[in-house]
Amino acid sequence: MKQSSSLNEEWINSFQQYASEGIRNAAKGFSTMLGENLIVREPSFRQVSIGEIPKLLGGPETEAVGIYLRAEGDVSGQIMLVIPLERALQLVDMLLDLAPGTTTGLGTLERSALGEIGNLTASYFLNSLSQMSGFSARPSPPAVMVDMVGAIMDIIIATCGGSSDFVLLMQTTFICKNRSIETSFWVVPDPYTLEVLSTRA
Amino acid sequence: MGDPISVGLGESVVSRKEGDVLVAYGLGSCVAVSMYDPQEKVCGLLHAVLPEDSNGSATKTKFVDTGIMELLQAMEKAGARRNHLVVRIAGGANMITAPGFSKSFDIGTRNIQAAHKTLEKLMLPLKSESVGGHMGRTVRFFVGSGQLTVRMIGGEEANL
Repeated sequence: MKQSSSLNEEWINSFQQYASEGIRNAAKGFSTMLGENLIVREPSFRQVSIGEIPKLLGGPETEAVGIYLRAEGDVSGQIMLVIPLERALQLVDMLLDLAPGTTTGLGTLERSALGEIGNLTASYFLNSLSQMSGFSARPSPPAVMVDMVGAIMDIIIATCGGSSDFVLLMQTTFICKNRSIETSFWVVPDPYTLEVLSTRA
Repeated sequence: MGDPISVGLGESVVSRKEGDVLVAYGLGSCVAVSMYDPQEKVCGLLHAVLPEDSNGSATKTKFVDTGIMELLQAMEKAGARRNHLVVRIAGGANMITAPGFSKSFDIGTRNIQAAHKTLEKLMLPLKSESVGGHMGRTVRFFVGSGQLTVRMIGGEEANL
């Protein structure tokens, strides 16, 4: 299998345009649920070594909520939203129209609300990608977990780490004008998908 | 006490410096394998990501099977005796419990199985373990005393 570490920069740059547009669209999906506009911090698109990943989000022991989906279709990959735990609790207050500080833990209802955010964000991203590239993919139902960042990111690392020491990562942070919701949005295409895409590019 | 030494993904660290603390932070499906020679006071910690090395990868410590062998060699090189070794493992959680995901995401379970199999092959007895479940763990290994602790989110640090 071709290693993703051998992808050339030119190709990465051209795909980045699709992805950036997809991420902007994903933010729209997120904000439809929130009822507020989101600012998308300039999306980055790069290769990172797997050892670096847990250090990217405030350190591997930071408590966070992970919302994980797989995208399956002509192209496939993994989508993960990571929200610091405190921010996730605030987000649930916003989603369920509760006074700030009401939510102190994540039960079934709260997890389901967060899962729905993942679902919408991923769907908007994939729709946009499909409109521009012609490749279609559908998101799986979301899995929501509350844990240490390192443990959450192990999911991506374990599924990619077998074939490469690097993963291709698109990452951005969503910011809400009035309230900070600091959500990282990660897209990690499967190695097979990278091959398909690079032959098309 | 010295600064904690982070043992990152696919790394292993051996130390005989009293006061060192070897730490594997936020283990999800990953497995930490610890070895301790109480007489020679040598400690080693491996943070492995995947069960088996099927491609002859250069990074042996990324995998449970080849990583354990590497760690054992490094321990012996640092003066540890094989028949003294106290071996403990932690990690191997299955992070995703949602239906539809479970089958393809049992890497945690496969990592634990690989550790058991490799230790058995090397005839290294396993003293204790904190494995499986659906929660991440942080492992701290105190060089000198050989004390090993495991902490999960919302929980206290407990001896293993």
